[in-house]
Order: sequence, then C-alpha cells, then structure tokens
Amino acid sequence: MSAIPITSAAGPRGGVLRRFASQEALLAVAVIGLAVIVGFVNPRFLAYRNLADILLGNAYIAIAAIGMSMVIVSGNIDISVGALIGVLATVSGSLAVAGAPTAVTWLAPLVLGVAVMAAQGVVVAYLRIPAIVVTLGMLSILKGGLISVTGGKWITDLPQSFHLADLNVLGVPMPVVIMVAATVLAALRMRYSPSGRAVYATGGNAEAARLCGVNPQRTVVMVFAIHGLFAGLATLVYATQLRVIQSTTPSGLELTIITASVVGGVSILGGVGTVVGSTLAAILIAEITSALVFINVSPYWTDALRGGLILVTVIADILRRQRRAARGWKK
Amino acid sequence: MSIATDTAARGAPWWLKRHETLLAIILILALIGLGAFNNRFLTVDNLLNQGRLMTEIGLIALPMTFIIITGGIDLSVGATVGLSAVMLGYSWKTFGFPMPLAIVFALFIGGLAGFVNGFVITRIKVPPLIMTIATLALYRGLAEGVSQAHSVRGYPEWFYVLGQGDIFGVPTQLLILIVLIVIAGVALDRTTFGRALYAIGSNETAARFSALNVDRTKLIIYTLSGLASGLAAVVLVSRVTTTRMDMGMGYELDVIAAVVLGGTSIFGGSGTIWGTVIGLVMIQLLKNGLALTGVKGDATIVVIGVALILSVLIASSLQRRRE
Amino acid sequence: MSAAPSTAPLLDVRNVEKTFPGVRALTGVSFDVRAGEVHALLGENGAGKSTLIKIVSGVYQPDAGEILIDGRATRFASPEDAKRAGVATIYQELLLFPELTVAENIFLGHAPRAGGGRIDWRVMRAKAEALLASLEINDLAADQIVGALSVGHRQRVEILRALSHDARILIMDEPTAALTEGDVTRLFDIVGRLKARGVGIVYISHRLDELFEIADRVTVLRDGAYVGSRQVADTNAAELVQMMVGRRIENLFPKFAVPIGGPVLEARGLVCHPMTKDVSLTVRAGEIVGLAGLVGSGRSELAQVLFGITPAEHGDIQLAGKAVQIDSPERARARGIAYVPEDRGVQGLVRPMSVLHNFSLAALGALSRLGFIDRAAERRMAEAGVQRFSVKTSSVDEVAGRLSGGNQQKIVLGKWLANNPKLLILDEPTRGIDVGAKAEIHRLMCELAGEGVAILMISSELPEVLGMSDRVLVMREGRLVAEFDREHATSEAVGAAMMGSDATMERAA
Repeated sequence: MSAIPITSAAGPRGGVLRRFASQEALLAVAVIGLAVIVGFVNPRFLAYRNLADILLGNAYIAIAAIGMSMVIVSGNIDISVGALIGVLATVSGSLAVAGAPTAVTWLAPLVLGVAVMAAQGVVVAYLRIPAIVVTLGMLSILKGGLISVTGGKWITDLPQSFHLADLNVLGVPMPVVIMVAATVLAALRMRYSPSGRAVYATGGNAEAARLCGVNPQRTVVMVFAIHGLFAGLATLVYATQLRVIQSTTPSGLELTIITASVVGGVSILGGVGTVVGSTLAAILIAEITSALVFINVSPYWTDALRGGLILVTVIADILRRQRRAARGWKK
Repeated sequence: MSIATDTAARGAPWWLKRHETLLAIILILALIGLGAFNNRFLTVDNLLNQGRLMTEIGLIALPMTFIIITGGIDLSVGATVGLSAVMLGYSWKTFGFPMPLAIVFALFIGGLAGFVNGFVITRIKVPPLIMTIATLALYRGLAEGVSQAHSVRGYPEWFYVLGQGDIFGVPTQLLILIVLIVIAGVALDRTTFGRALYAIGSNETAARFSALNVDRTKLIIYTLSGLASGLAAVVLVSRVTTTRMDMGMGYELDVIAAVVLGGTSIFGGSGTIWGTVIGLVMIQLLKNGLALTGVKGDATIVVIGVALILSVLIASSLQRRRE
Repeated sequence: MSAAPSTAPLLDVRNVEKTFPGVRALTGVSFDVRAGEVHALLGENGAGKSTLIKIVSGVYQPDAGEILIDGRATRFASPEDAKRAGVATIYQELLLFPELTVAENIFLGHAPRAGGGRIDWRVMRAKAEALLASLEINDLAADQIVGALSVGHRQRVEILRALSHDARILIMDEPTAALTEGDVTRLFDIVGRLKARGVGIVYISHRLDELFEIADRVTVLRDGAYVGSRQVADTNAAELVQMMVGRRIENLFPKFAVPIGGPVLEARGLVCHPMTKDVSLTVRAGEIVGLAGLVGSGRSELAQVLFGITPAEHGDIQLAGKAVQIDSPERARARGIAYVPEDRGVQGLVRPMSVLHNFSLAALGALSRLGFIDRAAERRMAEAGVQRFSVKTSSVDEVAGRLSGGNQQKIVLGKWLANNPKLLILDEPTRGIDVGAKAEIHRLMCELAGEGVAILMISSELPEVLGMSDRVLVMREGRLVAEFDREHATSEAVGAAMMGSDATMERAA
C-alpha cells in the first residue's frame, strides 16, 4: 500500500495544499466572502475609510488574542485581560501626561503586563489554583483598583509624541504593522521553537509532556508572561489611538478576545490552535460587528452574536473530538 | 455534614472542630470590631438594610454551593440575572403581560437559561467552566439585544413591596432568602439529593456505579441556578425600580467568593449552606464596612477579589497539609 | 535462545524489594533481559508486575536490591535516567498528544533542530518516515493527527517514539489488551524485527497463547514474590497457570450444598460494542455461577451490561421470568440487581467519604422518606454492617479511604447487600485482600446463596472459581465459550477453555 502522498513542507501539518482545508483558510475565505456579500447589500461598507477603520480600530484585539490563544492552548484560561488593558492604558496615559519620556510611556504597559500576568501564572502553575479562580479574582482587583484610584477620571491633553498608533511604517499604519508582526513572530515561535511546542504538549497531555522532558509548570508561567506582553502591546495600540483615555475597562473585552481565539481554531480543551487563526478570527469578528451596522441591524445584537459564536464553536469542537475518539475505537 | 472534615477527632465536641465554627468566630469578631469602629454600624436599621442588600447574591449563592460541591461552576449567573431582568421589563412593557405573569415569565427565562447549561453539560459533555463562559457571553448579549439598551420603568406600586417593603419589620426579600436558606441547607444536609451532590463531587464514577442518577442531579442544580438568578433579578428590579440591561454584572464574583469563603472547596466534595451563609454575610460586612469608612463602591470589588484568591489559597494549602 | 555466557544481560534486576505503606509490593524479585530476547512477565493483578516495571522505568526507587544495565550497577533517580540508559516503557494508557502529528509525537522533547535552534520539521518528518519504514509500517503517515488514529496505530507511534530514543530495552504493558487480531499480528511482526535488532523486550500479558507465540522466556510473579522462570519452549500453559494462581488451598472455600431454585436471571443474545458479542446465560436462585476468563475476555464488560452502565444494544434480559429493560444502574438496582465492581477505589468506594456514608450510598432510597434520610436508621444499618462483615474501623465516621483493602471491599459489598438484591454480581471480590478477609467473603457468599440470592462471580483466581461455583462459565473475547458443572470443572479443563482449547493460533502470522 503506497504511503499517503506528502508534499514537502516546513510545518507540523504538511504542505501548502493541506493548509487549504484548515481553519485558517476557512476564516480567510469568510473574511473576504462576508465583505463581498455585505458590500453587495450596502456598497459603502467597502469604502476604504470603513475597511481601514475596522482594521485599525480592532487590531489591538487581534494582538491580545495572540497571547490569549497561547494561554488556552496550554490548557488554561484568563478572564482578567480586559481589566488589565484598562489599567495599562491608564498607566501609560498618566505617565505621558505627567511628562515621562515617550519610551517609558510605551515600555511601561509591556513591563507591567508581563509582571501581572506572570504572577498569575505562578499561582496557577505552582500553587495549583484553577486559572478561572485566579483570573476572576485578579479581574476584580484590577477593575476595582482602577476605578478607586482614578475615580474614573478621563485623561486628556495627551502629548503628541504619545500617539504611537499615528505613526506609520512605509505607509502602513502602525497598528496594522504591529498586528502583523506580532502574529508572524508568535506563529513562528509556536511552530518552530521547542518552548512553543511545549505549550501544545502541556495543553494536550500534561503527564505525557512531563515524561517527554517538558516542564509543565515553567511552560505555564512563561505562557502567562507572554500573554502579559501581548496584552501590553495591545494596550499600546489601543491607547495611543485615543485622544482621551477613560479610566475604565472596556466592557466585555476579554470575552471578545476569547471568542477570537476560539473561533480562530483554538480548542478550549487545550493542545491545539494557531495564532494566525485567532488574528483572522479577530478581523472577522470586527468585520461582522461593522457589517451589522451597514445592514441596519442594531449594534446591540453584536454581543449576542458573539456569545452565540463561542457557544456554537465550543460545542462543535467537543462533538468533533468525541466523534473522532469513537472512530478511533472502531478500527 | 461537611464530608471532608475528619470528624473522627478525639475529645472535643464535633461542632468545635468544624470549619464553619472558625468562620463564625471570625465573623463575630469582625462584627464587633466594625461596630466599635463605627457607631452607625450596629444599628438595627443598618443591619436589616444590609440583609436586604445581600439577598440577590444570597439567592444565587445557594444553588452555586450545590454546583461547586459537585466540582462544577456556573459563571453565567450574572448574565442570567440581566437577561431575566430584561425579560421582565420586556414582557411587561412590550408584550403587555400582566405583572404577575411577567414575573413568572422572568423566572421561567432564568430557569430555562440554567436548564440549557445543564443539558449541554450533561448530554454533550461540555465542561461546566467552558459552557458557562459561553452562555455568559450569549445571555448578556441577548439581554442587550432584546432591551436595545432601553430601560424599563414605572412598574406597578405593589411590585416594589418585594424589594423595598418589610414584613413585621424584616425586609421582604430577606424573609424569602431565609426561607430558602433553610430549605437549601436541609436539602443538602439531610436528603438523598444532598448526599448525591457530595458523592458526585468526591468521585463521580463511584456515584454512577452506586446507581445514583448523576445526570439528572446535575441538570437539576444548573436549572436551579438559573431559577435563582431569575428570582434575584425580580428582587433586584423591585428594589431599584428600574430594569437595565447591565444588571447582574459582576455577580458571579460575589457569589463564588461567598461560597468559597464559606468553606466550600473549589475542587468539590465538601461545603455547606451554613458556611455559604457565613461567607455571604462576611462579604456584605466587607462592603458595608468599607462604605462606612468612606471607601467608594468600586473599591470593594478589589477586596472581594483578594478575599477570593486568598481563601482558595488557604483552603488549598490546608488540604495539601492534611494529605 | 540464550546468549553466550560472557555477554551480560541488557537489564538485570536482582533481589529488588519495594514496600508501600501497608503493602509489600515486591519481595526479593529477580529478573533479567538479554539482547534480542522477549522475556514475558506473568502474574495476576496485584502480583507486582507494574511495581517492577515502574522501578525499572525509574518512576519508583527500590527499597533494596540492584539494577544492572549491561552488567553495570545503576541507579535510576527519575524516569529521565532510565530513558537515557535506554529503557523505554509503553504503558497501557498510551501517553500521546492527540492533537499533534505522528512525527511530532515521536520527537517531542528531542526534535531535530536547524540553525538558530529552531525545529527542523523537514528533518523530523524524514526521520519519522525512516522509522516507519524500518518497521515496514506502510499505512501510517508522518503527518497524520494521532487523535484520529486507531488504538493499533497509536501503539505503533509509541513504539516508534521509544525507538527514536534508541531504546535498547522496551517494556510493553499489556500491549494487546485493546487491539484487534490484525493489529496483534502487526505487533508481533514488529516485535520480531525489534528482536532481530537486538532490542530486549519485557512483555507483560495475561494472554498465554500470545506468550507461547512470541516469548523466549517467561517469569511468573505471585503476591509480590518471584515464583520461577522457564524457557517458553520447555513449559506449557497448565504449568504456568499453576505457578500464577497455585495457592495452598487451605479450606478457603467452605462451600456447602444449597437448594437451587428457579432462574433469577436469563439473558439471551446480549450484544454491546465492542466487548460483548452475543452472550446468553442463566443464573438461578441460590446458585453461584463462576465466570472465568483471561483479562480482557469481556467479563467486566458483561457485568456492566447486566448492571446497566453500558446497556445492551441487542438481546434481552429476563428477571424472574419477566422481561426487563436495563438501561441504567438505577433501573438495575430497582429490579434487584447489585454489582460490586472490579476497581474498588475508583468505581466502588467514595474514598473521601465516611464509612457510614459509603454504606448507605446505594440504599439511600430505602433509607429515606420523601427524600429525607433517616439518619438513625442509616447509622444503625452501617453499624450492623460493620458488625456483620467484621469491618475493622474505629467508628463508622472514619474516612473510608483510610481502611485496608479488605475492609474497603467489605464496605462495597455491604452497601449493595443493604438493598437485599436478588442477583448479586461480584467482580473480583477477593482481589488484593488478605486471607482472613477472603474467607469471610466466601462464607458470606455461601450464606447469601443459602438465602436464595443468585450470584454471578467474576474471578481470575481459578481455585476460587473452582471452589465456590456450582457452575463455571468461561468467557473468551466477548463470548461464552464453555460451561462446566461442578463435577466437571477442573483446572485443566477450565484453563484450557480460557486460553482456547486448541494449541494452534487463530491468528495467522
């Protein structure tokens, strides 16, 4: 019996041909397809201005979803990231208004993000407290802390130099540059570095991972730390687009980020998924949100749609696994 | 009986060794301390008012105790409160239901929301954490969509008695809560249903092999959780006289914190309603105490978040030491 | 086939001992494996095989004794040490990553690298393909997702993983337990190739017919002790079975004649995927029916069909002449069926709960009115149970998990007897229990039979089966293949039926 033809490729799942059936391809098709359909119904949707807004305004979600995807792949979850981004934005803005050097205002959210998330990672990995409990507690601490410290005050008069998002690289706006760069770098790491593969192993079967020489605890802490880094990066892109920073946490942000990861192909049970998928899914979700407006659906239905998306994706994933396991028995 | 407590102790009476006793002592000390610190605290008026305020969380904390004992969790409770509240307003205002029917409808929606959780968890075997995060998003979204961010006001006067009135001087909803606490506590302690919960949380396989109907039990508790959320929504709307789509936001934190603080292990297998009541009171105390010292409402969730993490940490390390 | 005397065995275990709290798992066991040899390890569950394996794999450290690799004394402080020394273990629960590919599963933790430390997928795939080819595995591709593979395929991935670590000693724990006949043939093929390469294989299996096909030597363990080793060519199944289970048969089985009544259970044509294929049996009141068979023959699965955990897909069941549908354990209990499961700790007992609560767990309905448990009655029942079964515990409030195995088993038994069942299914009722407790349980069984209870007893201990049963049924591969009445049930006859009466293998190589 001849072996299954394998096209040569440098990736875990084989050649370019194989990728076409994958989740990422489906998402890319969906993004383009949706744009075409909605553009048909309301051509203003396809205006450059609108498409640019969608991309620029939501790039930060894609960036945050990169870190979240890694966390979920490792078999954990985090619901504190929305609150964290709110805090980091306020910190960054406050520093800028207080006259700190621009580099500091940009680095602060990164460093702080890593610190906060890594701390949670330690509690989850070494103290064995379920991630949901830790991040639920942290969410409240961050959210409440932010309001009580700032009193909800708005930060205005941000210096011009603060606005990183206004810059562009060879004509491409910074948010897009960062989003693409972050996705590419993260994807490369998850595919090519042993520590990246360790994340998949830890989430897939922690016991087996240990027997293969992977340190599950260290992997989890590292994943949370990187998640914090991406949260900080997302904050940068988000906050530097605003003229006014409200000292509140954008509501439901963590849910949107989780949805992007899950719809992007990350299984909520861990062990599988890609960051390219989550970036594409983030774009798709942003696109859907905008599309709803253009086809005259009330924006208040967006969140219901988002919720329905997660639910359907999760159920489909679980059913797929069960069916696959049952098939494995049959032979 | 708190199953996890090793009651085979020598000498000391059983109630001295239990987890809840320790908590109750801490609670009493806190009460005294707070009372000494602020003379507005220990007035009957204030205490009754605190009782009124903690009812909504308290109602939901009862079935949440059941759920966490079985090793599960329900993160969608806050969203269910929001959805039920919206449905209350929507059915009354837009469908034109008479108020009593609207109330029943709101409860029904809550129960249905919980039932969906339970059904998918038992039939499709989606883990409770994941399912209830997904329904958290969905139910909150539905609340927004149905309400279109409109608030509903102007309910009939008699409706407000539930949330704002008193019976023999005790706030109405508090009476309801007390009744339900007793029912829940007795059910957990003394019925086959309660025993099944502990068995499922300690060893679900053995529970199945002992011919306990695990799936039906789980379905019941998640439905109860939804119902309790619906009831909490009705009480809430009655208390604040308005329906808003963001009602119930953040409730899951308070509820889970109350249950965990009350000694229920997040890993399942142990816990009591009495413990949850103590946890509930402690959290309300915390909020009240902070408010009386001038700390604004939002900061209290910081403290609750810390309390949650700390209590799980302590419980977990005590458990580790015992093994 | 023995190597030249001057060659040291690849692995040599000498006089190893291991004790866990309350249990002496291994006492003075010695064992060795030569290059190119398949050395089978035989013994009942609880004989010490898995402890020995874990010591050799570096998971446990021996309390006494030595381990020598290539004649040199070594110490394995961790599984990594063992792996580095060339020892690889393939466990029954395969430790694979279902979402990753075959190649990655093989090379996880030691993937080939390219410049800059990055993983070289091309080389990994090529190496995986080379490994596949070296064992002539043509129907597996390096980039298939493991989760979609059958058990047979997954096992091959595990073997390849071991080879990728240059394993020289391969331990296989019940490798054929979940395989189809075709897969078993493929496995033997691979084992043959490994032998040719000089790999030493430790092969643990209950299937004696397989051992005779593939092993060169066999060592028998019993109750943690070394019983003996034989060259496979110089022994036969009967001798091995005798070594495995032979015990001083001290009046352990006070069996007395009991009037046998009408049929309590009549099952026809029971089918349930994948382990129950057309089973029909009858058990009468007062009768003890022994169900013998090798591990993996489908006995526990049959019990779970009868008890409603995995309801029958086809076939019917009659209880006391009435046709019934058993689709859940609740239904089974309501109809008077009780099942004492095989895995005491996981299926039988809720260890964190008290003795009291464990005793009442299956009888809560009977102990309660309108849902409220009558605590006084519950306590009386538990205390009576402790008394009747001589459960050694300081009080009924003691945590059940602290009791010894024998006492735990009595609780599980007692909890079901509280329901006064008409049909009692016992799955390995005296496994891992001291002699005294065993005798008590046997006495109890006879008493119950005397009261008219129909008993179906699954046991891997032939003397127990032969001593206690009025009739002996033998199961093999999901079917009932033989039935003996008390007179004609001898250990040769039953043993032969368990293994397949003809010496020729049904599986063509």
